Amino acid sequence: MGGTSGTRDVVRLDALGPAGAYRSRNVQTVNDIRGEPFAELSLVPPLFVARTMSALRRADPLPLEQRLDAIARAGRAFATETVGGLSAEDYQHAVCRVSGLPWVTTERAIEATVRYTEHAYLSAQQARPTGAVDDWRDPRTRSGSGVWVRRGDVFAVHAPGNTPSAHTLWLQSLALGYRVAVRPSSREPFSPHRWITALRDAGFGADQVALLPTDHATADEVVRGADLAMVYGDDEVVRKYSSMATVLPQGPGRSKILITKDADWTSCLDTVVSSVSAHGGAACINTTAVFVEGDPAPLAQAIAERLAALPSLPPQDPKAVLPVKPLDVARRIERHLLATAVGTVPWLGGDGIVDDLGDGTAVLRPAVHQVPGPDARQTGVELPFPCVWVAPWSPEVGVGPLRDTLALTVVTDDETLVDRLVGEPSIANVYLGDRPTHWLAPGVPHDDYLESFLMRTKACVR
Amino acid sequence: MVDDIDRVLDTPIGDRPDPDEFVRAAMRWHFGPGTGSPFWLARARTLDFDPLTDVKVVDDLALFPNVCDELRDVRAEDLVPRGYGEHPDVCGFFESGGTTGRPKRVVVLRDWFLRSQEWISTNLDAHGVPRGVNWLTLLPSGPHMAGYAYPRLARDRGGHGFSIDMDPRWARRLVSAGRAEDARDYSGHLLEQARDLLRSQDVGLLAITPPLLERLAADDELTDLVRAKVKAVIWVGTHMDADTRDLLGGEVFPGVRLIGCFGSTMMMHSCAQRVTEDAGEVVFDPPSPYITFRVVDPDSGRPVAHGGRGQVVVNHVSRSFLLPNNLDRDEATRVPGPRGQVGDSLADVAPVQVFDGEAVVEGVY
Repeated sequence: MGGTSGTRDVVRLDALGPAGAYRSRNVQTVNDIRGEPFAELSLVPPLFVARTMSALRRADPLPLEQRLDAIARAGRAFATETVGGLSAEDYQHAVCRVSGLPWVTTERAIEATVRYTEHAYLSAQQARPTGAVDDWRDPRTRSGSGVWVRRGDVFAVHAPGNTPSAHTLWLQSLALGYRVAVRPSSREPFSPHRWITALRDAGFGADQVALLPTDHATADEVVRGADLAMVYGDDEVVRKYSSMATVLPQGPGRSKILITKDADWTSCLDTVVSSVSAHGGAACINTTAVFVEGDPAPLAQAIAERLAALPSLPPQDPKAVLPVKPLDVARRIERHLLATAVGTVPWLGGDGIVDDLGDGTAVLRPAVHQVPGPDARQTGVELPFPCVWVAPWSPEVGVGPLRDTLALTVVTDDETLVDRLVGEPSIANVYLGDRPTHWLAPGVPHDDYLESFLMRTKACVR
Repeated sequence: MVDDIDRVLDTPIGDRPDPDEFVRAAMRWHFGPGTGSPFWLARARTLDFDPLTDVKVVDDLALFPNVCDELRDVRAEDLVPRGYGEHPDVCGFFESGGTTGRPKRVVVLRDWFLRSQEWISTNLDAHGVPRGVNWLTLLPSGPHMAGYAYPRLARDRGGHGFSIDMDPRWARRLVSAGRAEDARDYSGHLLEQARDLLRSQDVGLLAITPPLLERLAADDELTDLVRAKVKAVIWVGTHMDADTRDLLGGEVFPGVRLIGCFGSTMMMHSCAQRVTEDAGEVVFDPPSPYITFRVVDPDSGRPVAHGGRGQVVVNHVSRSFLLPNNLDRDEATRVPGPRGQVGDSLADVAPVQVFDGEAVVEGVY
């Protein structure tokens, strides 16, 4: 496909089932952000889901060495080669055009890919309990030991469309021997389609990894047909699945930064700005709120000045860093922001955040608001663009406002405070000092180890 | 005495009586003081037209109001045309599924029932469905017509009927109450009974609702049993999307005939799909003039163009019953009927999402 041609063919995204690519009659047109048809996604009926799931269940996993090689090979292909007819650049272009995510997010996804796929096994091993071995043949089972085993055979993923980097997470499950079915988001089906295609090209069988695009009504069938599932969504989705032990819901991140008085915020301003705006500000690991001990105004002002300088560009521009949406969607988000921000002091975006590109799309410009107190409800409002709430904080307020957080960066010398934050169950990750909330590394948990959900230990003695 | 009046009403379906003459005869029957039902005779007094003089052709049936809602409360005996005499041969008072509110009730008399069954059988012959095999039916039983008619069709065609109880209203109630898992359990309960029959008995034909057929096709043992024993599968009642049909006909049950039957208790019949070469197309032709379809824009009530989508209006006109202008719960693509048929044929039938203000719930039915 041509990157810039005005009259290009629509990209065909088939379902990838146990008998190979499957083109359905029920096709969903995926429009680009200007509203023009860009791709055709084959939606599968419930029967197709059920049959794919039983094929996955019947299949054996690839032997360990082979599957690790295949994952690594798929990672290299994903990042650099033509997969399913799309070069890496075509793929990036497609993601940007359809999702409006800026080019930088696809760059980051590609960077992360190789890092994760080369070390998928070693990363997974970090999560193995020290009392457990990988294989019952291990000599340690002679005197009795735990053996680390899968909790099931088939893992389903309702993939998110908010950032292409998210897909590195479920790849871990393949290293562990799971057979995997991914239901793509219609907002960005290109990344999972590319992954499953690359994995098959690299040696995974059509009955070991599958792509199952479905309409909303059929989506639950994908979860139901699997042994375990990971589902991305909003608070509603988290509530729906919170009582099911076989489903791992992935909700809003509400990541935060805390800077105490003993720290000099000017020296970590780069980190704050990056935390808010990297990944186009659309990831769960982007900072939603910054808490600062003392007067928040100077910090809010400094963040606003920095974010104001980010350019408004079409998403597929290699310099693009801000997300772009169809104009009406952008206006809706803007109205929501303005209504939410009532009672706060705007430092950036107070009059609106929509920057009309004149082609039916608009850039979502950053927003910085200062809220009156640490308990302001706005600090939990996560929006899909660089949008940050700056709040005052004091030691007397304590940990309360920092709860319910995926990644918390703390800039402080107060070790007692750090103890309390590390001990707080509703904070998933605590980063100390000059680390952005979007910091990630292979082998380090993202929201607990995914393996804690996928694996269990079993006693074995012989 | 039935035979004495307006014999055109007793024409076999395949003989295609003159539709307008047929409709006029039906008006004389249903609105004649000695032959019409108490329900229609009373209802006639509140009509703003005279069925005896104003209904001259099939299209004039559109003059009637949709009386379906009244069929929820009317006394069943009052539905029986008086012309059948003191001892009418009533097959049953059958009820709608209750998808859209409280059940509606119709009467089916033997003469229509036999005519309907014979026509379905003729259609199944045209599809190459074998005679002399046993049938397994997983269809709404109890007050619903399908569970009455299909096992008898098995017998008429020289086989035996094995049937399993199905209560679609219970399944639907579970789904409406957010108890989807319980509804699945209920389907599972039905399929376990089917498993037992398929394992132990000679079953050459399966008549089943589409949701249950899909569940069955996801079960390896049941799929193998059907492949090994069953020559034809008839799916009855609700719709089935083209992708699912392709999968069932192609990879799940290769070599097994798969035939759709569109019908409902309120139609008092089910129409087997048209025999065509194109596997992707499922078209239903009604046995006109007994049953006729119109595909209309639900807002204006006017017919949509050929190829357009609209809501289905069904007329049932027989000696047994008159139910004109019944706005069905389904929508469909309007396609031309074969030569000699009055009214439209239907393709891609699918349930409308909202009907009379109540959301339509699809369960096992």
